[in-house]
Amino acid sequence: MELLKLLSASEIFAQVVSFLILLFVLRIFLWKRILKVLDDRKEKIASEFKGIEEGKLEVEKLKSDYEAKLKTIEDTAKAKIQEAINEGEEILGKMRKDAQEEGRKVIEDAKAGIKYEIAKAREDLKDEIIGLVLSAAEEVLQQKITEKEDKKVVEDFIERVDKVQ
Amino acid sequence: MIEKSLSHTELPNFITLLEEKFPNCRWLSHLAYYENIVFSLIVAGIICLAVFEVTRKKRGSPGRLQIALEIFVGAVDDFLSGILGPKARSYTPFIGTLFIYILSMNLFGLIPFMKSATSSWSTTLALALCVFVYVQYAAFKELRFRGYIDHLLGRPRGFLAFSVIFPLMMFFLHILSELVRPISLSLRLRSNIWGDDMLIAVISGLGLKAVPLLLFSTLLVIIASIVQAGVFCLLTTIYFTLIIEHEES
Repeated sequence: MELLKLLSASEIFAQVVSFLILLFVLRIFLWKRILKVLDDRKEKIASEFKGIEEGKLEVEKLKSDYEAKLKTIEDTAKAKIQEAINEGEEILGKMRKDAQEEGRKVIEDAKAGIKYEIAKAREDLKDEIIGLVLSAAEEVLQQKITEKEDKKVVEDFIERVDKVQ
Repeated sequence: MIEKSLSHTELPNFITLLEEKFPNCRWLSHLAYYENIVFSLIVAGIICLAVFEVTRKKRGSPGRLQIALEIFVGAVDDFLSGILGPKARSYTPFIGTLFIYILSMNLFGLIPFMKSATSSWSTTLALALCVFVYVQYAAFKELRFRGYIDHLLGRPRGFLAFSVIFPLMMFFLHILSELVRPISLSLRLRSNIWGDDMLIAVISGLGLKAVPLLLFSTLLVIIASIVQAGVFCLLTTIYFTLIIEHEES
């Protein structure tokens, strides 16, 4: 009961009204306004972060695209180089084959030439031997040959033939 | 000297001084009778003016006071969101205003010739009654009548005794605890601030020798004022949490 004497109904009512007025004023001019500012700021920061994230993703995408393109270019270049190498090797092989063919042909021609020359030389030799035989026969016929001379003529002839050969 | 200083439980304020100077003035004696209302209205007026001045739309970047206010509002909102969850926003203005008002009134008594209106039980009971009414309103709003009665009946429920006796006991206990809350809230705040004021008054009465002790006590009173405003608002938040938690469960 002693404690209740500390209370005053009019004071309590006035304090309640005072607090409610303060609450009304602060709700409008402090809490709503400042909380709106904070919310707007949070939203702005969040949207900026979102933009940054999107930018990052776009950069990542561009990077991956660029890397893919670079890889494609590298692959194409490699393929072209390989193609050129293959083509070069093909040309080289063909040239080598042609050269070998030509060489073989030259050798065959040379061999044919040699054969021809040998045949010609043989023909010439034959003709010369015939000529020599004929001239020897002429000489034999023109001279009266003794047995001894006859033998000598034959030996001379054989010697000449050896020389010619 | 100590006996003399103990005879004054509070330091004189400008209203009591004026009343002493003009004892025959009737309106001054009325003003002295309602001095707590006068001081709380002064505090409310100062808060309103400060808020108007700080939050007034200005061009350019915000000033230091506005930044400080934004930090304070953000901190209160974050703190309450941490306890009350996503529904905190609807209770932030009420609890935040309570904190500002109580803290300002607590600290107002440290200004020479002023008084802490919270050293009066009527003031603190008025605030506690506001809390009580708002908590009950929020409970009805969030839980509806049936949910509110269910909340008062408590848990656990079950067969026989648990289905009738225990819920009835819990019902009366809950009603009692709800009714006791404003009294405990208001008496805790009032007694602490009244004690702080008395401490300052007693130490002030000791003279110049007690100035270091007075400075130390003032520091303690500042801390106690912040703590008491915080405790009042924290308990209010807990009352709201109990309703929201019940609604969610």
